Amino acid sequence: MSPSAREKLLVYILLAVVLMLFMTPIYLIIVSSLKPAPDMFSRPPAFIFTPTLQHYYDLFTMRPFHLQIMNSLIVAFGSTAFSLFFGTLAAYAISRIRNRWTNQIAFWILSMRMFPPIAVVVPYYIIFQTLGILDTPLALIIVYSTFNIPLTVWLMKGFFDDLPEALEEAAQIDGHGVLATFYYVTLPLTAPGLAVAAVFCFIFSWNEFLFALMLTGSNAQTVTVAVMSFWSSDAVQWGRIMAGSFVILIPGVIFVLTCQRWLVKGLTMGSVKG
Amino acid sequence: MSSVILRNVVKRYGQVEVVHGIDLDVDEGEFVVLLGPSGCGKTTTLRMVAGLEDISGGEMQIAGRVVNDVAPKDREIAMVFQNYALYPHMTVRRNMEFALKPQHLAADKVAERIAEASRILGLEPLLERKPSQLSGGQRQRVAMGRAMVRTPKVFLFDEPLSNLDAKLRTQVRLEIAKLHKRLGTTVLYVTHDQIEAMTLADKIVIMKDGHIEQVGSPEEVFARPRNLFVATFIGTPAMNLLPATVGGTASAPVLDADGIQLPAPAALAGKLEHGRKVTIGIRPFDIAIADDDRTGTTHAATIEVVEYLGTEVLINFRLGEHELIAQLPASSRPATGQEALHIAVDASKLHLFDTRTGLAIEP
Repeated sequence: MSPSAREKLLVYILLAVVLMLFMTPIYLIIVSSLKPAPDMFSRPPAFIFTPTLQHYYDLFTMRPFHLQIMNSLIVAFGSTAFSLFFGTLAAYAISRIRNRWTNQIAFWILSMRMFPPIAVVVPYYIIFQTLGILDTPLALIIVYSTFNIPLTVWLMKGFFDDLPEALEEAAQIDGHGVLATFYYVTLPLTAPGLAVAAVFCFIFSWNEFLFALMLTGSNAQTVTVAVMSFWSSDAVQWGRIMAGSFVILIPGVIFVLTCQRWLVKGLTMGSVKG
Repeated sequence: MSSVILRNVVKRYGQVEVVHGIDLDVDEGEFVVLLGPSGCGKTTTLRMVAGLEDISGGEMQIAGRVVNDVAPKDREIAMVFQNYALYPHMTVRRNMEFALKPQHLAADKVAERIAEASRILGLEPLLERKPSQLSGGQRQRVAMGRAMVRTPKVFLFDEPLSNLDAKLRTQVRLEIAKLHKRLGTTVLYVTHDQIEAMTLADKIVIMKDGHIEQVGSPEEVFARPRNLFVATFIGTPAMNLLPATVGGTASAPVLDADGIQLPAPAALAGKLEHGRKVTIGIRPFDIAIADDDRTGTTHAATIEVVEYLGTEVLINFRLGEHELIAQLPASSRPATGQEALHIAVDASKLHLFDTRTGLAIEP
């Protein structure tokens, strides 16, 4: 049944409302990052103003923002790669080895995800200080992976469970070992799942604030903490915060767009028989 | 030399035993079909030969080597799966190349094998397509091609035609027969379709509940079924069965099926003690229509349903208390409205089974 003109209109109106809800903060970020300070909170709001890149200039000259971006990238890509590698292998084992212990292990892994972050910050701080890796990207990669691995395991387990076992059996009979079968048959066919897992892991690691604030100092500070450092008890430098926020948005968007081809397939796979 | 040997092979899942110590010898180059109803253990047996299921007891040999603990990849076998199991992300050519990869052949040798298999199976125009772009019959041929390029010691087929429509099934069945004739490789083939078994097999292994009921050529299992299960499982329409008691004299025993008297086959006379309970088996095509009752050896029957099939006709009729079916040439079709007829059965064509054990009574 095709929708009538009125139904179509309703759908578009609803879409417009949702889109506005999501896009307004982004619009405010972009506009505010380009506004000169006096126009920032003028009433009525200044819709027409002379745009300036001063806030962006300040961002990179007053702070080592490029280094902080690098820290964030190292941590986000590091944790994503680490989580995908170990999470995928664990998920494959849990999916294929069937006994009463594997289910227990799977739930135990999931329970890691349910820890309130604030409860584990102090133990992590003590552990990393003892190991001498406090204020290094490695510390954040480890912490983020404890949250990303359970996500990857559960997501990929679903994809592995859905893959017809006959395909792997065919590869075995064709003379391939377990690793070759996994690499050449299983993994390419679950690539959409990997893309979804990668996006979630990356975005979590890129956006995370609490651990980054508590476990890093000047060396390994990430962008989320760096941006908030423009907020002090003396003054809130809105322009720089907005410019920083906009810069932070960019890598996530690029990453999601890169994975988009797989993402749509991955998020809907299994929902329709075929 | 035997190509595949099973000695007292058992399969258990936990406490449940599904294959109960079967023995089987498959000779080199032989086409052996495992036939049986769902859940009879035929696919489990095939998967044990493939190494996809461990065996719980007994011994299994392929090409003279005990393979109980040998991984599937080292068994030198090829298998065609029920759902084809083609790698969906690879083209037809890549599917075949991937199957050859573990053999570490030179590139020109690989190309040669693929070209040979493609030519035999008519896959040349499809080589650059992905499985999703192929029809069911084409996928089936690719699956066979992938198995063929490996030049295995044994081909395993797991109900390869069950996903095809009736017309295509006949066509692919013929292709499999031709392929076997051409390659001469040992084949172990699982099916629940007796027509496939009868047309393809050199030897049929009929299974039920994890036991082998009979092993023999298609002619043997059809003409001399060893027990009631085989007798009724093989043949369409199924064999008619009549419970009866042996009567008459020791030299000329008569079978009494609730008042219907049939002479016993002369060859079995010595085995039929007076009063023995037997089951008479009559193949539908062994029943003839008699003109009338003049000879005294025919029986009056009431027609229930007549099914016209073009070249032949199936007549469902009632004989005393029993409902039987006769298969006759279409020219013998009873007139519309006809309700009664006389049937005649040749005593030498009767099959007799011991009612208690279900085993055939043989001379």
